[in-house]
Amino acid sequence: MDASLLSPVTRRVELAPGLVTLRFHNPHVARTTKAGQFVNVLPKAGFLDPMLRRPFSVYWTEGDEAEIIVQAHGRGTGILAGTHVGDMLDVLGPLGKPWMVNSEDYSTAVLLIGGVGVASMPLLTRALEREEIPIQTFYGARTGSLIAKEHLQNLHFATDDGSQGFHGSNVSLVRAALEKNKLNSPKLFTCGPTAMLRAAQSLAAEFGIPCEISLETEMACGIGICQGCPVRNEESVFQATGRRYRLVCTDGPSFRSEEVVI
Amino acid sequence: MNLPQNGAIKPDLRVRLGDVEFKNPVLVASGTFGYGAEANQWCDISELGGVVTKSVSWKPRMGNPPHRIIETASGMLNSIGLANVGVQVFIKEKLPYLARFDTKIIANIAASSVEEYRDVLEHIEANAVPNLAGYEINISCPNVKDGGLSFGTSVERTEELTTLLRASTKRLLIMKLTPNVTSVAPFAQACERAGADAISLINTLVGMSIDIYTREPRLNTVTGGLSGPAIKPIALAQVYQARKACSLPIIGIGGIVTAEDAVEFLIAGASMVQVGTANFVYPDAGIRVAKGLEAYLQKQSIARVSDLVNSLRVKAELKAAGW
Repeated sequence: MDASLLSPVTRRVELAPGLVTLRFHNPHVARTTKAGQFVNVLPKAGFLDPMLRRPFSVYWTEGDEAEIIVQAHGRGTGILAGTHVGDMLDVLGPLGKPWMVNSEDYSTAVLLIGGVGVASMPLLTRALEREEIPIQTFYGARTGSLIAKEHLQNLHFATDDGSQGFHGSNVSLVRAALEKNKLNSPKLFTCGPTAMLRAAQSLAAEFGIPCEISLETEMACGIGICQGCPVRNEESVFQATGRRYRLVCTDGPSFRSEEVVI
Repeated sequence: MNLPQNGAIKPDLRVRLGDVEFKNPVLVASGTFGYGAEANQWCDISELGGVVTKSVSWKPRMGNPPHRIIETASGMLNSIGLANVGVQVFIKEKLPYLARFDTKIIANIAASSVEEYRDVLEHIEANAVPNLAGYEINISCPNVKDGGLSFGTSVERTEELTTLLRASTKRLLIMKLTPNVTSVAPFAQACERAGADAISLINTLVGMSIDIYTREPRLNTVTGGLSGPAIKPIALAQVYQARKACSLPIIGIGGIVTAEDAVEFLIAGASMVQVGTANFVYPDAGIRVAKGLEAYLQKQSIARVSDLVNSLRVKAELKAAGW
């Protein structure tokens, strides 16, 4: 039994400088991943520095192949973003729990995306389409060239520099839509920078709508062993469960927004 | 010696520690393998020599706030804070789960007082399962203020605790030592005097990492425990020093990723090894090491893994000079 699988890169698409999608051959990941799950990938297979894997939401699957989206941010992601077709990725996964698509507390899925938080949204879109749930997608980015709009639908853009769509925050776009009652029984599915997640959390509380947030943290093992990726439970969850923290890797990465402190 | 059909000698990986026979000398280190269930999805636990459990204390511990881990050059800093389920859940759920596997269990115990160490040990002892081989006593966690390091940095308290726990069990008693002392030798000797069956070393080294833009420490507790390949040379030297200082069996720990790493520890004087941080990268790291060890022995025509133990070749004049 081999825990992690060496997976050859079959396609690399550079969306913008330092922002690439990597497609790799891995039938297990491609055929069993559910929307919102992630893979833990070594920056360089067989090397001890960088030593730890990096978690990436599975961006897309097709046949025996899966894709991740990598933004060169630090050393590990920089190495990964520079991977070539034919290079081997060492991939552990799929890991974590999927998005709660069937939570039955909504009729419109509102996807609130910040930057590379787009990573889990294409598979979520596909899962929602299969359930015939209407989708509205509010996608915020620093600038238009950093937007990865494949496999998404009903897109509304917001950019910090105004280069595409609304000049400002995607959260204000959602707020405006909520205020005008344009979204029928909505649920927010959100992933992106912490500031955006917090804004989404307050928005959901204010309007009394369900909201699920997908978290990204430092992570080592990705399988619940190292206890390195805790997220603090809201007091009510702590009182009910006795658990001060849950783990992003195995209890998440997505959580009901009212249950965690971010 | 087994002689398989192809005629090649199948090396004997078995190791004895006290009355216990392990199928191979590779254990997984405490805190790097949970209580087995998490990793079992990714590997067959029964192929390991044994599992050292996540530390268990009398009451459950929530652990430290984030950030708990930071990667550093060929290693990582952690400040988990002994997050664990507590001895009651350990006995009710974790121990029975591990009892299903054909491997040995070593329960790692962390505590903040002599009484707590003894109570946890006696509680597990009273609820033991057949493959519970013994206990590893964590007197070396650097990340909680009451985590036992006050024992691990005092020779007297190490000896006192070992003596007390010795009286509570006939199973293996293994004291896990810290490298954060001037010399490990007197601690090894104290454990021997007090009747321990073995010592394991090293636990993590105190380390630190700083965000130069915010000027804040990267870990919640400012300092944390450094592990991974970065610490292997230090661990090897400490195993070697402990080997010279006492005659107790040694379990070598520190940065072992490959079978070659494990072989170095055996040559330096360890009878067994623990694979730790590597489990965070490869959940089957321990099994990879065990299989690689067998391949190494076969290739080198070494019949028994025990033939490697303490086989370091140091020139006589260096030995005479105290190296």
